[in-house]
Amino acid sequence: MSADVELSNVSVTFGSFFAAKNVSVKIEGGEFFSFLGPSGCGKTTLLRAISGFQDPSEGNVLIDNKDMSGIGPNKRPTALIFQNLALFPLMTVSENIAFSLEVRGVSKTDRQKRADELLELIALEGQGEKKVHQLSGGQKQRVAIARALAVEPKVLLLDEPLSALDLKLRQRMRTELREIQKRVNITFIYITHDQGEALTMSDRIAVMNEGELEQVGPCDEVYNNPRTPFVATFVGENNPIYGRIKSIDGKTVEIDTPDGIFRSTINDNTNLNINDDAIAFVRPESLFLPRSDDNFDNSLPVIIDSFEFEGNIKNFYAHLKSGTKIKFSVPNAIDTSHIKNGSSINLGFDSQKSIILPKAPLAID
Amino acid sequence: MTSSHVMKFMMGLYLFIFFTYLFGPLIIMSFTAFNSAEFPAITPWECFTFRWFNEGKIAYDGQHLAGLFTDWRLHDGLISSLIIGGGVVLLAVPIGMAAAIVLTQVKSQLRDIYYSISIMPVLFPGVIIGISTVVLWDRLAGLGGEGFISEIGRNGIFLTILAQTCFISTYCFLIFVARLQRFDQTQEEAALDLGASQTQVFFKILIPYLAPAIASAAVIAFLASFENYNTTVFSILSDQTLTTVIASKVRLGISPALSALALSIIALTIIAAVTYEILRRREEKKYALSQEKYVTEKAAISRIDKDYKVGFKIPKGIVAIILLVILCSYGGTQILKNDLYGQSCIDAADKEKKSKFLDQLQVLEQNELSDEELGGGNLGGNLDYGDIFGDPNLFQDFAF
Ligand SMILES: Nc1ncnc2c1ncn2[C@@H]1O[C@H](COP(=O)(O)OP(=O)(O)OP(=O)(O)O)[C@@H](O)[C@H]1O
Ligand SMILES: [Mg+2]
Repeated sequence: MSADVELSNVSVTFGSFFAAKNVSVKIEGGEFFSFLGPSGCGKTTLLRAISGFQDPSEGNVLIDNKDMSGIGPNKRPTALIFQNLALFPLMTVSENIAFSLEVRGVSKTDRQKRADELLELIALEGQGEKKVHQLSGGQKQRVAIARALAVEPKVLLLDEPLSALDLKLRQRMRTELREIQKRVNITFIYITHDQGEALTMSDRIAVMNEGELEQVGPCDEVYNNPRTPFVATFVGENNPIYGRIKSIDGKTVEIDTPDGIFRSTINDNTNLNINDDAIAFVRPESLFLPRSDDNFDNSLPVIIDSFEFEGNIKNFYAHLKSGTKIKFSVPNAIDTSHIKNGSSINLGFDSQKSIILPKAPLAID
Repeated sequence: MTSSHVMKFMMGLYLFIFFTYLFGPLIIMSFTAFNSAEFPAITPWECFTFRWFNEGKIAYDGQHLAGLFTDWRLHDGLISSLIIGGGVVLLAVPIGMAAAIVLTQVKSQLRDIYYSISIMPVLFPGVIIGISTVVLWDRLAGLGGEGFISEIGRNGIFLTILAQTCFISTYCFLIFVARLQRFDQTQEEAALDLGASQTQVFFKILIPYLAPAIASAAVIAFLASFENYNTTVFSILSDQTLTTVIASKVRLGISPALSALALSIIALTIIAAVTYEILRRREEKKYALSQEKYVTEKAAISRIDKDYKVGFKIPKGIVAIILLVILCSYGGTQILKNDLYGQSCIDAADKEKKSKFLDQLQVLEQNELSDEELGGGNLGGNLDYGDIFGDPNLFQDFAF
């Protein structure tokens, strides 16, 4: 059983500080939905509002179309996985998992049965008698998930559950989480500041900045068609090129920059006029080394500063004549031995692979 | 000899002096418990005896000196001390715990004020707490006529429990505050989120977490109550606790029975401490073993090659133990050789003292002055001056 979660105009204030500001979003039942945003942007606050630990100062939280105001966290059909997991250190793994059943007065044998089922789900069969401190990081993670799933919540809320794990384990847990979600088929609301995590797991993501939602949508849409400069630079990497709108022709826009005139694409709901300050964004993987048979819309003259080998790709750091920094990446398969530090080359990119947005603050990393 | 040697030597000397200062009186006192003399002393050593632990003695001059076993006042005092200690534990631990939990809920500047007020009772002199409790309950007891209130308002044990709880609950409060500071509050939230009620959170999460603090608070509360004098001496009214009994005894002159009591208390303390330490180490070992098992279980190919050093480890305190054994055996042989133990020795000593006592009595009788002489002669007034003025040689040099 899964449930819709709807936030309608939710604001949370601490004194005069808005930790969440006018957030409205509808999360469908059975969806894997992520809130993505930098540290301190109000993600945890929002999650606590959904689970009932934090009353919104304004607006409502609705679960299955039912207003949740005045309903405590122990009465809501949600289960929260805390940023620090908050497993009970004095209990065994099984006791941890069955805690929610114990407080509901379920008999010991039934509890044990359910705990064993869940241990199987998280691939920890036969380890129920261990104490929490005897588990590895990833195992603790899975126990926290099993504990949250024990009473079959309709919504599972996860607060950066993977942030404490190392890279390899994090990647494995991503797939596992996704699989568990498919198996139990309930709504997952996931919080992270790691855009890779959000993109790989989620059906839809919401990008947050300073308590406000910047954009909500499917992963590829947010990645390919960012609505604001913040989203463009926070989700994935992007090269901003500042300039002024020179001409608008349908979806194609010309932008006048100190380094020349480039052609770029404008979104349907972006409001820009001639002479407005704007930023053109090109992703590192959309910048190509020129080849004779290619015919790009734009040519970008850069001077190479440095180079970085990442395995499957090579990253080049360069700058334009005006000083604007540019990063571009080349698949490892392509020979780049002729590119030296200090050499000048022309990069090519297509107007469809570039997005133009009104000038606004970027995400600072 | 380098400076580090000097340093080490000074350090050793310092430690020796420090520990002598700390334990010397206790050790000496322990020995006096086994000397048959009526006054606690090591020298002169009379006889080795256990009588101060048992029946005590009736001295040659008719004075009765009760031993530990036969002293009913000590027994009564001990029993009230135990009752009071239990009562204080039952009151102070929950009060301290509640106050500490409230502290975690208080945010903002109020917190500092609340904390200061909470620890204030430790800063009051115990005497004042004792007196004020008595004064208050005397008033209360006077209000209600001859009812229940007036009964308990004049009950020393009840008042002492209340008075001691006043400041002992603060000790408990501090213990709980220290433990709660390390409590991860998200655990409470996690339990709530999993459907537990506030009551269930309290009993299933908070209480188990606080269990060690509850235990230590109970022990501390009991000990603080057991040894308290300042407050108790006022609030106990007509009853007696162990400390007030001892204090009143000391006022009359100390007997070796008190040494015997002290030694018993020291022995109990040491036994308790050692038992606790052994249990703790066993627990730790069990934990270490389970950890090790877990580690080896996890590593498929155990690269941790452990070779256990099997064999007898020389205990660190060996020097102290050998010294103690030598001392004891020396003392023992001296006592045996000189026949300084058992009833025969005591009888002999008593006889000797008695005869001395009789001799002295005789001397006194011989020297007995007439009533007139004692009265200070014709001059009257002070006896001493009487004597002075009675001396015919005194005014010899003065020619009237
Ligand atoms: N109880 C509180 N009182 C005052 N301010 C708070 C409180 N809780 C959070 N804040 C503030 O609200 C903002 C958002 O906090 P929140 O915990 O939601 O951030 P977050 O997005 O979860 O960050 P992170 O990724 O670091 O966990 C922060 O600036 C924080 O300082
Ligand atoms: Mg957070």
